[in-house]
Amino acid sequence: MMKLLTSITKETLLLFRDLGGLLLIFLMPMVLVFVMALIQDSTFRKLDETRLVVAFINEDKDSVGFAIEKGLIESDMIDIVKEYDGRYFERETLIKLVNEGKYQVGIVVPRGTTDKLREKAEYLVEKALEDDNDPVVKPEIEKSSVILYFDPVIKHSFRETVRMALSKLTYGIEARMVFDRFAMRVSEILDTETILEYDPSGIIRLEEHNIVDKHTEVLPNSVQHNVPAWAVFAMFFILIPLSGNIIRERNSGSILRIRLMPGSYVYTIGAKILVYLLITIVQFILMLLVGIFILPLLGLPVLELGNNVFALIIMAIATGLAATAYGLALGSIFNTVDQAAAFGSVSVIILAALGGIWVPVFIMPTLMQNISLVSPLNWGLEGFYTIFLRGGGISDILPWIGLLIAFSLVMMAIAYYFFSQKKN
Amino acid sequence: MGNIAIKIENISKTYLGSLVPAVKDISLEVASGAKFGLLGPNGAGKTTSISILTGLLNYDSGNVFINGMELKKGYKKIRPLIGLVPQEIALYDTLTARENLRFIAEMYGIRGKQMRQRVDECLDVLGLGHNGHKQVRKYSGGMKRRVNLAAGILHKPEILILDEPTAGVDVQSRSMILDFLDELNKQGTTIIYTSHYLEEAESLCNEVAIIDYGSVIIKGNIRDIINSKAEYTDLESVFLHLTGRKLRD
Repeated sequence: MMKLLTSITKETLLLFRDLGGLLLIFLMPMVLVFVMALIQDSTFRKLDETRLVVAFINEDKDSVGFAIEKGLIESDMIDIVKEYDGRYFERETLIKLVNEGKYQVGIVVPRGTTDKLREKAEYLVEKALEDDNDPVVKPEIEKSSVILYFDPVIKHSFRETVRMALSKLTYGIEARMVFDRFAMRVSEILDTETILEYDPSGIIRLEEHNIVDKHTEVLPNSVQHNVPAWAVFAMFFILIPLSGNIIRERNSGSILRIRLMPGSYVYTIGAKILVYLLITIVQFILMLLVGIFILPLLGLPVLELGNNVFALIIMAIATGLAATAYGLALGSIFNTVDQAAAFGSVSVIILAALGGIWVPVFIMPTLMQNISLVSPLNWGLEGFYTIFLRGGGISDILPWIGLLIAFSLVMMAIAYYFFSQKKN
Repeated sequence: MGNIAIKIENISKTYLGSLVPAVKDISLEVASGAKFGLLGPNGAGKTTSISILTGLLNYDSGNVFINGMELKKGYKKIRPLIGLVPQEIALYDTLTARENLRFIAEMYGIRGKQMRQRVDECLDVLGLGHNGHKQVRKYSGGMKRRVNLAAGILHKPEILILDEPTAGVDVQSRSMILDFLDELNKQGTTIIYTSHYLEEAESLCNEVAIIDYGSVIIKGNIRDIINSKAEYTDLESVFLHLTGRKLRD
């Protein structure tokens, strides 16, 4: 035990005197999380919860115009903008800005829209209460319109979103106007001051439930993707300092001396695994802290950790162990630090790309989604997704832990084989 | 076999992937307390022999006995008896000399006050007492060689194996190292020494073996070897006569 502690002390000293290695371990992943989370934020929002910014002109300045404006403001999906350069939009400016792509959608409620709707409502009510002896003549009412301008590159789904939102609003306004008119006429006929109240909530209510289990494909936001993704990536990058440490130790001849010390080789390797595993856990915790406390300061969503801290710890240990074992294997296989660093970094970047670190697996083609399953970085990421997004616990992440442990054991066996070959 | 520190019987070794044996059928005996020089041109098999002696390299055939114990069977007991000073500076260059030596001492089970005393003693005796707090990478070549030597003797081994311990050092450091080895030998440590500096080997060692192309070509007392032929004037003339003047890779 004392020899293990001695080796741990030595490894820790070596690590903390390697400034370049420390920067690689701690700073690089944080920079990556900042950059990637910011870059990908809007993309993830588009996938999940995009709010469209809509340029809006209320030329009507009456009930319909105000009702549409209020409805859009209250919408979950749409933000309206009424001014540009400190002045209310004019129609030409709005068309120009939409055309330039500044806004993806422009909405204009033309002057007189309410008046036309009022006339139509009045006609409909009068027609409904028509006396056979005094038929109602259908007046010439010009159809009222709400005008929509779309940026030609807008996605079809966004176009439909706006159409649906406006249709819902205009149907509601139309129905209300007819209803109010009708209620007023009924009151007149019955000679009462009581007027029926319109209930905008409707009769049929939509009841929504989110059924979330481990099989559910839940879309993460940019923080929920990028923090665990780059944490896993950074953990695997531990192989650069670790393999370098092993190779330098071997090439300097220190390993010869260590192998001559009683029982010390096991302690030396054990200490390396423990120290570098601990470093990966520290990396992971730091990345979580960045996701919880720092990214929200940049206007990004707060990282949600799920509700099973124990599962999170186990998942982090399994991922860190896989990364450490990979570094151990590369350190045993390669003869120079440069070889190990080049192969190690390229292999991690490829495994990261395959594993959904750069681009989430759920937006990859099916073939690539299947290939992603061979990447240990994907196993780590999926495990964290299970905890963060699906509320998973230990039993839910067991398959990912199993794969990571199996990978670690294979890497350790490879390391053992190559270490023993050095005696031949 | 009581006063025989090392006995090598017909050792052969061919590296994986090589067709040519690095050592073939080598047999040697080194008495306890001897200063034994293992000499030879580049690629002769010196480092391979040392690696085999220390148990760091497997051999294909033959036997090695250390203090009467067979190396392969008694390796756990033999390891603490051997001190190795490799040709490379086998130290962590971002650690200080003291941190390097503390690590090695503790791995040999030397701890606490005893460890601190032993580390200080080794640093002082090799003239590094005032520089023990500096990182090894900031040392001169000679200082590194001296720490390398200190690391090999911290646990007071009975047999000290040195592979080119004075390579690339200045005259002062070399002189100090050789004096120190001589002193260590007087205290009973058996010394196995390889070097390309033949005058150094001649002054330090009492017995030598010259190996070439993996085989021992002569072994024995230095004086006896030099006196065995009229054309031998010193160890260098013996060496050149036996190994030739052809350049080696």
